[in-house]
Order: sequence, then C-alpha cells, then structure tokens
Amino acid sequence: MATSLMTLLLLVPLLAALALLTLPSTSGGERVIALGGSLVTAVLAVVVVSGSYQVDRSWVRSLGIRWHFAVDGLSAALVLLAALLTVAVIVHALAGPTPAGGSRSTYLGAVLLVETGALATFLARDAVLFFIAFEVVLVPMWVLIRRFGDDHVSDERRSDAAGRFILFTVFGSTLMLIGILLLIWNQGTSDLDTLARLHGDGLTRPLQITIAAVLLTGLAIKVPIWPLHTWLPSAHTIAPTAGSVLLAGVLLKMGTYGIVRLAVPALPEGVAALSPVLAILGVVGIIWGGLACLVERDLKRLVAYSSVAHMGFVVLAIASGSDAGLQAALFGNVAHGVVSALLFFVVGDLKEQWGSADLSVARAALRDKTPRLGVALVFGFAAALGLPGLVSFWGEFLALYAAWSPAPGRPVALLRTCVVVGAMGIALAAAYSLRVLRIVWAGEGSEDAQGEVAKAVPDSTGPRWGVVVTLLVAVVGLGVVPHLLLRISELDVVAVLGGGGR
Amino acid sequence: MIWVVRLVVLLPALAGLAGLLARRTPLVARGVAVGSAVVVVALAVALFVAPMDTADIDSVGALPLGNLSAPLHLLSDQLSGVVALVVSLVVLTIQVFTVWYLRDDPRYTQFAATVSLFAAGMLLVVASADLALTLVGWEVMGWCSWLLIGHDSERFAARRAAYKAFLVTCVADIAMVVGFIALSVRARSTDLLDVLTVHPSAGTDALLTLGLVCVVIGVAGKSGLVPFHDWLPDAMEGPTPASALIHAATMVAAGTYVIARLFPLYAFDDAARTVLAVLAAVTMVYTALLAFAQTDLKRLLAYSTLSQVAIMLGALAAAPADVGPVPAVSHLVGHAFFKALLFLGAGWLAALVGATALDALRGRARDRRALRRAMAIGLASLAGVPPLIGFFTKDTAIDAAVEGATGGGGLRAWIVVVALFATTALTAAYCTRAWLLLDTPCPTPASTSSAANDSFEVEHGGTRARSLTTSAFDDGMPLTPLAVGEPGVLTTHGEHKPITLTASLSVFALAALTLFGTLLLLGLDGAVHVGVVSATVSLLFVAAGAFAAWSMSERGLRDAAERLPTRLRADAVIGFGADTAYARVGSGVTALARLVVVLDRDVVDAYPRATAVTARQLGRIGVRLHRAVPASALLGVVVGIVVVAVLGVTVWQ
Repeated sequence: MATSLMTLLLLVPLLAALALLTLPSTSGGERVIALGGSLVTAVLAVVVVSGSYQVDRSWVRSLGIRWHFAVDGLSAALVLLAALLTVAVIVHALAGPTPAGGSRSTYLGAVLLVETGALATFLARDAVLFFIAFEVVLVPMWVLIRRFGDDHVSDERRSDAAGRFILFTVFGSTLMLIGILLLIWNQGTSDLDTLARLHGDGLTRPLQITIAAVLLTGLAIKVPIWPLHTWLPSAHTIAPTAGSVLLAGVLLKMGTYGIVRLAVPALPEGVAALSPVLAILGVVGIIWGGLACLVERDLKRLVAYSSVAHMGFVVLAIASGSDAGLQAALFGNVAHGVVSALLFFVVGDLKEQWGSADLSVARAALRDKTPRLGVALVFGFAAALGLPGLVSFWGEFLALYAAWSPAPGRPVALLRTCVVVGAMGIALAAAYSLRVLRIVWAGEGSEDAQGEVAKAVPDSTGPRWGVVVTLLVAVVGLGVVPHLLLRISELDVVAVLGGGGR
Repeated sequence: MIWVVRLVVLLPALAGLAGLLARRTPLVARGVAVGSAVVVVALAVALFVAPMDTADIDSVGALPLGNLSAPLHLLSDQLSGVVALVVSLVVLTIQVFTVWYLRDDPRYTQFAATVSLFAAGMLLVVASADLALTLVGWEVMGWCSWLLIGHDSERFAARRAAYKAFLVTCVADIAMVVGFIALSVRARSTDLLDVLTVHPSAGTDALLTLGLVCVVIGVAGKSGLVPFHDWLPDAMEGPTPASALIHAATMVAAGTYVIARLFPLYAFDDAARTVLAVLAAVTMVYTALLAFAQTDLKRLLAYSTLSQVAIMLGALAAAPADVGPVPAVSHLVGHAFFKALLFLGAGWLAALVGATALDALRGRARDRRALRRAMAIGLASLAGVPPLIGFFTKDTAIDAAVEGATGGGGLRAWIVVVALFATTALTAAYCTRAWLLLDTPCPTPASTSSAANDSFEVEHGGTRARSLTTSAFDDGMPLTPLAVGEPGVLTTHGEHKPITLTASLSVFALAALTLFGTLLLLGLDGAVHVGVVSATVSLLFVAAGAFAAWSMSERGLRDAAERLPTRLRADAVIGFGADTAYARVGSGVTALARLVVVLDRDVVDAYPRATAVTARQLGRIGVRLHRAVPASALLGVVVGIVVVAVLGVTVWQ
C-alpha cells in the first residue's frame, strides 16, 4: 500500500499528462483530466509526505540502479510546493485564455509533465534516477516557452529564449551526469542514502574537490548561480505565466536541492573546499541581480533578476556549512518558490492585460482602480525585499546569521565580508521593489498615460484571485510561523551534515 | 497576564488586517481602528500597573534551528509597561483624530489599517525579548511609514518622500541587521537575556564593539541622526496624523528604546557609546539650528523631533552605568506626548487655514482659543518650561548626562552635556519664534483663506523651489519642485469643516497628558530626577534663548528668522543640500546598475553566445563539405564503401 502510493504519486501526473497530450484537442475533457490529475497528485503528495512513504525496488539490475523514491525533511517541503503550485498553475490556466501557440490540452499536458519530473527529482534516492528525473522536465518546459511563449515578440526571440534554456540546462545536466558517474565509479553505488552514509569516505581530497566542482558547476546552471544565470531572464520574459511560475517556483529549486542532496552529503570535503567560491559567487549574484533590477525595464525580467539575487542568499547559506545554514537554504528555497510564484502570477496577469510588461510605458496606477492586483503586488514585492513578518525574511536573516558563524574550518573573515555585502543586497532589494511599486502601484508617471493604457486594468476575479489569495496567505502565514517549515527539515539537516541517514 | 502581553502586539496587527478586509465599509473600519486602539490602551494600562517582570513569554514558539537558539520570547517589565502605555495612548488619540482629519478621504480605511499595523510593529519592539522579533517590529514600522508617507500617492512629492524615507532607513538597516547578527553570534542565541548576559571578554571584545556600533548606525537611520536625518523633514508629505505617529512615539523614538534595552552592553563599551555621543551631539545642535530657519510649521516640528530624539540618544550615550537608560526613556515619554499634541494641533490649524507654511499661518492661532492653548502648552513643553512634562524629562536627561560627565564619562559625556545646553537655548528660541508667528497678527491685513492657500502654493513653487536632479530616486521621471505639506488633502476637504468634538477631545487629552504626564512617570524608578544646578542652568538657557528670539523678532512684529542672512536661511530651509547628496549617492548606484546591465549583456553573456556562434559556424562548414557535384560525391561514396569493406575484412580476421 505504502509503496504503491509513492508510485501512484508519480504515475498520476504522468498518465494525466500523456492523456492530455494524446487527446484530440476538441474533446473538451482536458479540464477534468488536468484539474483532477493535479488535485489527486496534490492529495497523494500530502499523504506521502505525512506518512513518509517510500518505494525501493530493483530496477536496472545489471547496473545496480534501484527504483528508489522516498521523502524526508529535505524534500518534503519541496514536494508539497511542487504539487500545490501545479494545482495553482492549472487553476489559473483554466480560468483564462490559453496562450496562443497550441491547444490547451498540450499546454496543460506540458505543465503536468513538468510536475512529474520535478516530483521525481525531489523524491529520487538514486543518483541515476535523480539525473533521469532532472532531465524529464526539460522538454515540456521547452514546449511551454517555445510554443506558448509571449506572442507579442518575434518568433526568433521565442526560439532564442527556449534554445538558451534548453542548451544551458542540458549542458548543466551533462556536467552533473559526469559528476554522478565519477561518484558512482569511485564509491561503487548509486544509492544516495549509501553515498550520504559513506560521507566521502574512500575519496581522496583532490578527487572530492574535482567531483564537487563538476557537480556544483552543473547544478549551478540550474540554480542559477552568477555568472551562469543569463538563460534565466530571457526564459522568464518569454514564458507564459504557467511556465514562469513553474520555472521559478519548482525548477530553480531542483538546482539547490541537488546541491544539498547530492553534493553536500556525499562530498563534504570537496564542498567545504569550494565553499569560498560558492559564497563569493552567491554574494556577487545578490548584488548583481539587485543592481540589474534597479534599471531593468521589463517587469518579468526584473522578477527574474531578483530571483538571481534571492538564490544568492540560498547559495551563501549552503556555503556556510552549518546546520543553521542548511536550514536557511532549504527555507529560503521554499520561500523564494512561494514569493516568486505569487509575483509571476500577478505580473503575468498584468502582462496579459497590458500586452507587455514594459515599466517605461505610462499606465494607470493599480492602487485605487485595481486594488486586488495592487495589494498582491505590494505584498509580493514586500516579501521580495525581505520584509520581516513575511516568508523570505527568515531565509535571508538565517542565511546571513549562518554565514557569519560558519562551520569550523571555513574562512570566517571571507564569509563575514560576504555577509556585509549580502546585507547591502537587502537595501538594493528595497530600492528596486519600491521602484516597481512606485511606478506600477502608486502610478509614477501615470499622468502621461493616454488612450488605451490610461484605462484601469480589470481586476483579478474568481479562481485566479483565489490562487493569488492562497499564495498571499502562505507568504504571510509562513512569515509569522516559520516553524512549520523549519521543523520539517530540522532533523535531516543534521543527518546530511553529520553523515548517515536516519 | 501572559495573554495581555501577547494581545498588546497581536490585537493591533489583527486590526490592521481587518481594516484591510473592510476597505469598502469606512464605518466598520473606523470602529475597528478606534475600538482596537481603546482595547490596547486598556491592556497597556494593565501592563503598566502590574508589570510581570519576566522575559520568558512565548510568542509563536522557539525556532528549531540546531546551534542557534531563537526562543522568540516577549517580555514585560516597568520600562516596557510605560512605553507600551504611551504608545497605545498616542495611537488612540491619532486614530480618533484621523477619523475627522481624513473623513472624506477614500483611502481612509487603508490609512487607519496601516496605523494599526504600525502600532503593532512598535508594540512588538517594545514587548520583544528577542533580537529577531525586534527586527521584525522595526522593519514593519519602516514599511508602514512608506505606506503612510506615500498616502497621497497621486502627488510626486509624496511618492518621492516615501521612497526616500524607506531607502534611507533601509540603508542604515544594513548595519542594524549585521549588528544584531554579530550580537546573536556572540551569544549563540537571539534571546535578549542571553545576549545581555554574555559578558564582555577581557580586554577588547571586537565582536561586541562591532555589533554595538552597527546597531548605533541602524538606530541612526530610523532616528534620523546625521547623516541620515534628511528623510524625516520630507516625510512631512504624509498626512499630519501619520507625521504625529511617526514622530511622537513610534518609529523615530524606537531607536532609543532598542538602545535602552541593550544598555547593559553599551555601558561596557566606550567605543560604541562615543560614536553614539558624537552623532547625537552633532544632530541635536545642527537640527535645532535648522528648525529655527524653517518656513513651514510641519518641517519646523520635524527638525525639532530630530533634535529631541538626539537628546534621548545623547542621554543614553552619556549616562553612567548605574543611572541606566531610564532618563532617555523618560524623555521619550515626554516627547511623545507634546510632539503628538503639536502635530495634531498643527494639523488642526492647517486644516482650518489650508496651509502649513508659517507665513500663511501668521496670527491664525490667536482667535481660536482652544487650539491656541493647546499649541501654547505644546511649544512651552518642547521648550522645557516648568512644570510641563518636557521640562522634567529633558532635565532628567541633562542631569543624567551631567552625572556621566562628572562621574568619569570623560570627553564623551562632556560633548553631550555641552550640546544639551546649547540645544536647550536653541529649542527655546525656535519655540518662541514659532509661537510669536502663530500668535501675533500679521502687520499687513490678513489675506482670505483662499488667498492664503494661493500664497502657500506660490511660496512653495516659487522662492523655495527645489529643482533637484534626482535621477537615482526618480529614475528618469520628470522633475517637479518639491512642495511641502499636503495641498491635495487640504484643498479637497480642508476648509470650513469644523472639527468634531471627539477629534478636539483627542487633542485636549494630549494637552492634559503634557500637563500632568509627569505623574505617569513617577511609576518608573529614576524617570524624574532633576538636578537643582543643572535645572537652574538649563532654565537660564531657556530664558536666554526665548529672549533672543523675542528681541530678534522685534517683539513679535517680524519673523525672527528673517534676521538670518538670506542666503544662509535659504540653504538652511533645504537642509544644506543633504537631499542632493542623497540623490548623488543614488545616481552613483544607478550608474553602477547600468554598468552591470551592460556587463551582463556584453561580457557575461558573451561566452554562451560565442559558443552558439561557433557551433553554428562549424555546422555551416560541415554542410558545405557535404554539398558537392554528383560525380565527386559518387566517388566519395565508392571510396567509403571500399574502406568499409577493407576494414570489415581485416577486422574479420
């Protein structure tokens, strides 16, 4: 029973996706299949997480690869996030027009396929399985960007954004595969639990550093860590709302999760040796993303750059190597997932109405005429600037705390410098968040708006507003009671750092 | 009782949330805002009367964080009881006043909800026994101040002032965050008691000094110490109740409370206290001078706030360890009452006249007896006239500083003492000037209300026009001269609407508190401790300052500030270009940002693009190689087959 539930969790979205993709587009059943599939998956996810189910079967016997999926503190929150965000995305997609470029069933099918891959990535306990799951998401995401991307721009730009996305991430996962193979070759197993229990035993220090460098570079592209981030802004700008939300809320998390799941427990020494590099790159990302946001004109691109900055905090937390740091990283991961999903839903809706997301176009202010989207935007950007009391604050504050007092053996002076620079990133975040709110919400320059753009945008209603409200509740709720998330990861974090599973 | 502490914080927060949900029903919003404020006052009275003297009250439970202990406790003691009561009283009067002041404002519900949330932030800071919680309250206040100052977001000046206020304080908060982290790393805990009980290690404790100095810088941001002071006068763009709230008992004064809580650590750290002493001394004198030159009543009050808050912080910097932080908190209380009174009085007056410029307000208080008395009490208290609360609290602060100076505080304490006496004289001078302007009828025939309004506009658009190049703040938006006050609000519903009884009662309540509030302070040990010598000296300074202003004004016939050199005065009105300096920093950062964007596109992204171009070129070369005339292609195929056949045969063997 327990094992079949785990398999069902992966099978339901997969089958729903396949049904949607093969269904004739005129049948009209896609609404039921997509919504039903995602809801059942979400329920299964909750059940599987609360029951800590797992499945462990032999799969490719000749290679020793096992069909091993399990849930623990590191992955539980991400599994829930992926499953629930997919429901939100589907509800949102069904409540509005499907982006031009293909049938609605293809669109929804791609979304569910992404979910399948993401869930499998978070649940996989076998390195090869992890890699396969990691790859599953690429093609459907490419379809979302390439075919359903923003139809206001030229086909060439869509193809460029989608191509960038696929080439960058495939390059990254190739590196990751090399790293995984090196790891398996040297440790003789692909089982992640065993690898964690070995905790780098039997690997020489240079070897650990080499494998860690390869693995981290591969995963860094997905996170993305500066300077490997240039695929992200264009992908976010072009992707439809569903694509942007899944990209920011789920796909980016796979990168940091991969670092915590694969690299940190299996190669402790290697990661420790590379942690100064990680910290510096993370902090450069924080500042770089924040500065880019200060002058960015496209709202979706701006949110994408802010993602680079936020993931910088997560990377900094990982670099600290302490258990508070790992907690901060996992928390920051989920926090960013919720906040960026909220922002992309709101910004996506605005872009749908505006036709573009160019901030330099004078438009009617949201504040009085479009209060719901306005409030959501205010909360979203308040969370983006790390306002205490909202969810992202705890991730950032704990990341800075952890980096100030890192695990023994890490370069304290360097990390403390990184903390100071990272804290400056918070001020930059305030600057760009308020800049956006000043223009979009308070209506800077709205006096010049003429014609169509001077009219107020229709406000969010119905299911779409429901989705936004749910995310708002999550942003505030997890901000006031961060324990909910921290408690999930508490014990397993210690296990990851100390070696040996539970 | 534990729940009382929790509710004091929770209730305003919930009221804020409820106000947000009730945005379409102003009546409900009014009820929620005022009703919750009343309940909070009742709860605060309970805490004031019977403080629990504990710092172990669970709030949302400890954070499970491995090697960092973050219990997120709340506390309740005498100090927190007094401050919580003052905050809740001021918030109540402001909520009542706002019902009248913004009665026709379509955004009243949002405003009232934000005020409630603001109060929740401040009360959280007051009741917090955990650095993380303090930071939460601290930043929530900052965020609410952004909303309140930018309330009239149609106006460019309001949007800009809100943006400026949040950014300036946020820059200082970088240091605050680092400071709190440094302090909690020392104790491996964010709990206030743990942080305080880790005693300084022998010799120099670099981490402690760093943490404390950083907290001073963070406090300097919100409390408006030089060089962060310039956001506060601009914050006058918010509606007057918002100004009263920000200035009187919450955001600006919160820094005093935070440092007072950490005082046991500061008492051991001369370096951090010297930084605080210098900043406070410079700020209190400099801003008092600027206050004297202002042409706008609200801006004058804003500069006086900066000066008064610096007095509190100066007391913290100079007080000897055994006197402790109580004198500073005492002045916080006194200042809260009379400054709220002055702001609400100014708002009342401005609503009647339709302007906040002193020229327009000349003599306008004279024929309104109640308001005149309220303003007189407020200004006298600010100047430090006995027996008003301002006299007692300020002289308690001076006494503490003098004790510090004579008790081995050295240069640090002496700087503060000298600055305190200078400030006393200056404060009396600008209070006298303001009073003479408000009370003496204009020698020229008074203009009508609408004419006054016009002159107000002309005044701001013309002589005091501040054409600032603010590319960083404004991001290429069209430049507009920065006007002060709230013409939008004032012209929409400023005139001919008599004040309601409840709103005027709220002003009188504050006047009564200014008169008799000293009694409240008697409940706090050491809160009223006036030295005979220092009080006499300071009274002499008050008299001297008042007399100087009076004689400069030729017995009230002229504006005393007109005697200043014109050029100097014009510069003083715009704060000696501090705003331009901020804008320059901003444009520097923007320039850097533009550079980053260029680098991002042309350097960081060049490598992937180069790879793509190379791959495409290689592909083209490959294609070209495969494109050949049939004969030679056939030849190629034949050769290929032969090679394969030969290989096959050789390998077979």
